[in-house]
Amino acid sequence: MTDYRREGRRLARLVRFSIELLAAHKQRTALSISGLFVGVATVMVMVAVGRGAERRVVGRVRAMGSDLVIVTAPPAARVAGRQRQVSTATALRPADADAIAHESPLAKAAAPAVQRTLVAKFGDRNANVSVSGTTTDGLDIRRIAARAGRIFDETEDREQRRVALLGPTVARLLFAEMDPVGREIRIGAVPFEVIAVLVARGIDAGGTDLDNEIVVPLQTAMRRLLNIPFVHTILVQASAGGSERLDGLETDVREILQRRHPTRAGEGDVQPFVVQNQAVLLRTELGAARTLNRVIVAVALLALLIGGVGVVAVMLLSVRERVREIGLRRAVGARRRDIQLQFLTEATLLAAVGGAAGVVGGMLVSAGASVIGRWDLVFSWWAALAGLAASSILGLSVGAIPAARAVRLDPNVALRSG
Amino acid sequence: MIELDALTKSYRGAGGGGPAAVHVLKSVSCRIARGDFVAIMGASGSGKSTLLNILGFLERPDGGSYRLEGADLSLADDDVLSSVRNRKIGFVFQLFPLIDHVSALRNVMLPLLYNEDDVPDGSARALRMLESVGLAERAQHRPSELSGGEQQRVAIARALINDPALILADEPTGNLDAKSGGEILDVLQGLRTAGRTIVLVTHDRAVAERADRILLLEDGRLAAARTVVA
Repeated sequence: MTDYRREGRRLARLVRFSIELLAAHKQRTALSISGLFVGVATVMVMVAVGRGAERRVVGRVRAMGSDLVIVTAPPAARVAGRQRQVSTATALRPADADAIAHESPLAKAAAPAVQRTLVAKFGDRNANVSVSGTTTDGLDIRRIAARAGRIFDETEDREQRRVALLGPTVARLLFAEMDPVGREIRIGAVPFEVIAVLVARGIDAGGTDLDNEIVVPLQTAMRRLLNIPFVHTILVQASAGGSERLDGLETDVREILQRRHPTRAGEGDVQPFVVQNQAVLLRTELGAARTLNRVIVAVALLALLIGGVGVVAVMLLSVRERVREIGLRRAVGARRRDIQLQFLTEATLLAAVGGAAGVVGGMLVSAGASVIGRWDLVFSWWAALAGLAASSILGLSVGAIPAARAVRLDPNVALRSG
Repeated sequence: MIELDALTKSYRGAGGGGPAAVHVLKSVSCRIARGDFVAIMGASGSGKSTLLNILGFLERPDGGSYRLEGADLSLADDDVLSSVRNRKIGFVFQLFPLIDHVSALRNVMLPLLYNEDDVPDGSARALRMLESVGLAERAQHRPSELSGGEQQRVAIARALINDPALILADEPTGNLDAKSGGEILDVLQGLRTAGRTIVLVTHDRAVAERADRILLLEDGRLAAARTVVA
């Protein structure tokens, strides 16, 4: 029999006995575990909160594309010197988009879009749906893709065909289990043929379901559905990424719009358009989310550390309480390193169990919060593993403190005390 | 079995060098043969427990020599001494003899944890030890559920589990009533009959007289050994 195997079995016996002792001292064990449990659970939840916030920001920007300049037009206050009656009209025209696409070398594509909430019907089912009209470039820029069926082409846009792309939520609301492709729905009073169900996009930061949307060709939407000559937004895609290029594109867009829509005397020089640069938006929002994340994680790590201090405190207390036990063990043949091993084992076991409980607790809280509170908590296996590893390492290293104390005890002094 | 020659042991003052050292053992010499049952008597503070701790390798003497079964272990390291304690010596202490919260059986098995050899079926062996001290039916009880005398008998069972040649008992009856104390002494005498060497430390004459021999520890020396007629 090799020495290693003998030592291994001896270690196994010691560990088993340690577990028995820990199980017997329920209160002491629970106390030392609770600190790490709370610490690890806090880390888990906090990381989940932080990742959720970051995902919301990234998701919002991704849904639009991160290489975009977005032109929105607030309702025009005056047209031809008169107060507008219809407040939704804007001065933005599809031709503005064409001009931007042609004139700015930094623009890869520009897509005008209109949007309104309308009632969509199929049979006796109906739903309030966000209906947007855009060009094929707009589909590209927004990364709209069909899960089933096909998206519309330029000809269908030009010819104002009544074809509709359904978001998954709309498809479910109107058709339940049925396949919508090829069927006829009504948007408002106008009949449309469903030619596609779109790939799911999720929920944006404001809680809007991006899948509760119907996309139709721009011309169809403007002429047949809304009967308007203007558009609400223009999405401009940069020819290449990089925030400097995006800044340059923003300047181009402003200049082109300024030229095409000169401000009249008496209106001041306030342009009736809002030009937003996605890069700036993403930078500030992600920056804010990440700062928050760092603070959150720092607080959580602090909680974990406090949990570790709790383990040391309870273990040290137990060394003092267990001086006689240590003396006894030494008297019946425990070597110094057996005693050391015992305390390290106990600390590591406590920490590992506390950490594992914390991971489970963190998972439950995260899951519960997203189900009940509808909070966006992103559980991360990475954080779970890290929490478990950190608490075990913490246990091992803080276990060294009471272990060192226990080892220094003279057996005869230990036996006499008390 | 045990040969002591001019053994000395002193403790420094509490301040660590300030006050004069206390010479507990000045020159202790004696021979204890295999199978002897020896009682060491002395007033409290006379160094009885120190002597017993040295015999059990819990403390090292400052000078002189101690041979156990002919071997001088004064230069042996902690691992070797731990192993000797584990296999050759069984301790029975006056106070707090057991680990709380675990069963009597588990307490008896404690030395097996540190035995280098794997002991197959340790719990059966532990149960036999408990049987030999008349506590087989109390095996699953915890120390807090046992009387003082029963606890001490469990401690004796534990001392026996690795089949040691030498039993060292430090005031094993000190905390017990006369009846329980008597039972413990009966058990020890039974062990002696079975051929084990027993060294018992006590300040109680009546207890000491159960031994074959009494050694008196006075002024740091073992003296006035008187043979008891059994």
